Amino acid sequence: MSQIIINGLFVGSFYALIALGYSMVYGIIKLLNFAHGDVYMIGAFVGFVLLTSFGGLAAAATIPTLVLLVLVAMIFTGLLGVTVERVAYRPLRSSPRLAVLITAVGMSFTLEYAVRQIFGPSPKAYPVRVSGGSVEFIGARISTAQLVLMALAALLMVVLAFYVNRTREGRAMRAIALDPAASTLMGINVNRVISRVFFIGSALAGAAGVMAGAYYGSIDFLMGFVIGIKAFTAAVIGGIGNLYGAMLGGLTLGLLESFGTAWLGGEWRDVFSFACLIIFLSFKPTGILGARVVERM
Amino acid sequence: MKSTRSASVWRRARYLAASVALATAVAGCGGGVGGSDDEKSGDTIKFGMLAPFSGTESAFGDYMKNGAALAVEEINADGGIDGKDIELVTQDDGCDATTAVAAANKLVSQGVVASVGGYCSGATLPTLPIFLQAEVPMVIPAANSNALVEADQENVFLINGTGTQQAAAAVAFAKKEGASKIAVIDDSTDYSVDLADSFVEQAKSAGLDVVLDATMTPKEKDYSAEANKLVKSGADFVYWTGYYQEGGLLNRQSKDAGYKGTFLAGDGSVDASFAEISGKDYTDNVYATFTQTPDMLEGAEDWIADYTKKFGDEPGPYSTQSYDAVRVMAEAIKNADSTEMKDVNAALRDLDGFPAFSGPITFTEEGTLAEGGFAIVTIGDDGSFVLHDDLQG
Repeated sequence: MSQIIINGLFVGSFYALIALGYSMVYGIIKLLNFAHGDVYMIGAFVGFVLLTSFGGLAAAATIPTLVLLVLVAMIFTGLLGVTVERVAYRPLRSSPRLAVLITAVGMSFTLEYAVRQIFGPSPKAYPVRVSGGSVEFIGARISTAQLVLMALAALLMVVLAFYVNRTREGRAMRAIALDPAASTLMGINVNRVISRVFFIGSALAGAAGVMAGAYYGSIDFLMGFVIGIKAFTAAVIGGIGNLYGAMLGGLTLGLLESFGTAWLGGEWRDVFSFACLIIFLSFKPTGILGARVVERM
Repeated sequence: MKSTRSASVWRRARYLAASVALATAVAGCGGGVGGSDDEKSGDTIKFGMLAPFSGTESAFGDYMKNGAALAVEEINADGGIDGKDIELVTQDDGCDATTAVAAANKLVSQGVVASVGGYCSGATLPTLPIFLQAEVPMVIPAANSNALVEADQENVFLINGTGTQQAAAAVAFAKKEGASKIAVIDDSTDYSVDLADSFVEQAKSAGLDVVLDATMTPKEKDYSAEANKLVKSGADFVYWTGYYQEGGLLNRQSKDAGYKGTFLAGDGSVDASFAEISGKDYTDNVYATFTQTPDMLEGAEDWIADYTKKFGDEPGPYSTQSYDAVRVMAEAIKNADSTEMKDVNAALRDLDGFPAFSGPITFTEEGTLAEGGFAIVTIGDDGSFVLHDDLQG
């Protein structure tokens, strides 16, 4: 039982990191950024390129290397996110919602198949693995790698929560989420804030990408697709637009999947978790925390 | 090796395909309703290959095309088939039944006289009637679902051993290892489920105790929940029937979860990436059922070097089988001295021990290999699979 929970929380923390980006972007410009999962994939590939081009990195101690990789990948994917917004979303900001949805889907395919052209379609093995022993913890087996990654994910989320709730820029984001027009009148540079949101959301996804590469060890150009959909689901369960909701939604989905597999078998996992979600959402369409509009951003 | 369509959709697709193929054939006989370019050319003999070049299985398409291209080049350099060069024509089937049907029709209209493709069983199955209508003999390099055999078509020949033959090798190995509790995990695709079912059936009749028969969803990263179930079941031998990407992850994660038994994988997992994905220290006690690996064969180093030099990438799964498919087909056409389906079919059935990578090839009446030739391979020092036990005696 405790093993099932640990497994669920671990997968869930990846979903949560990616769901945050979905949720932030939706909260601020009401756009479903379907390219978000692919930013996660690019993050993993940035780490891969760094590791293969600097052989010394792979030979170095794993934890500091990992942190360094995560940081570089975050900067790269953050800038990528800003570019994506500038190229594919900003020109269409006043267009019908559907047009932007299509550019988002287009962006997703563009990123996926560009990576396929560069790196080839076969999965690549990550040159660095976070490994180490495992510890017993209330009857569950958890590896130190899992602990490190979960701690890293939690740290990123805490920093983000602090940034959004306690800083000037964070306040500007929340203001735009509430009312973009009024925010402009109050002298907030809306475009700059939106760029920043894309930077942060994409950087988190990039971090998750490197972490997934280093833990699971295999990356490919379509790895962002499934997880993108799952993260989107997580964001909706949590109440899309809500920061804590995205975290909670990610963990919930991870747990549902873990229990689904344990009780019904892997082939029923998605049936189980998504059936639960349909039932849940039909009773509470705003998601777990969706009603707390005040905290939106 | 994947099937995603329900039976009724499939049947409809087949019906549609057959009528389209017929229409194409009639147009061809009529001497060209705008199809003069596509007439069977006198200068080259066209071999058609359907393989996935897009979508998630696209890696295999390139492996197959390159393997086949190498064979074509060799045969042409050697004078071709009675002075005529072979021309390889490829089409993308996307591992999807609907796309495959359209692609097969395209090949037929391009005037291919032989088919040497077929990777996903689910996508290959609906193309069988199209090639039969067009009187094109087929040597299928990779797809090996029993459904292809059950289609009972005279023009279908499988280079790859069938699921039943492979499962038999897996059971033989389990008995040899003295395994007492057996688990089997598939990835929910047609090929994988087929192999798993066949394995369970044969294991039970061999008196082995099957304690877990699980399915997992492909294309994901985290299989710790499945790994957990495996440990809990108390199995000391697991047969994984899916592909290498998930296989590597499952192997690693089940060892992390505390699994200590034997890990046996099916032929879809035989790739050097399996060891890379599993990671260092995770390759002990890993085996696979496989036809025969290039590195066991004389002259294979040269073949691998040629391939790598020409395509800038190492050969992968089904490169050798595709190479063989072209050579087998060319041999049969040469022997038959004709490209008529009837003659080529007969020539294929007459082959006796044609020397191929996957061992000497002799076809049964059904078009399957007389000997499956499955052996047990294990991960060598460099991470690639090497022969462990040929299961002879």
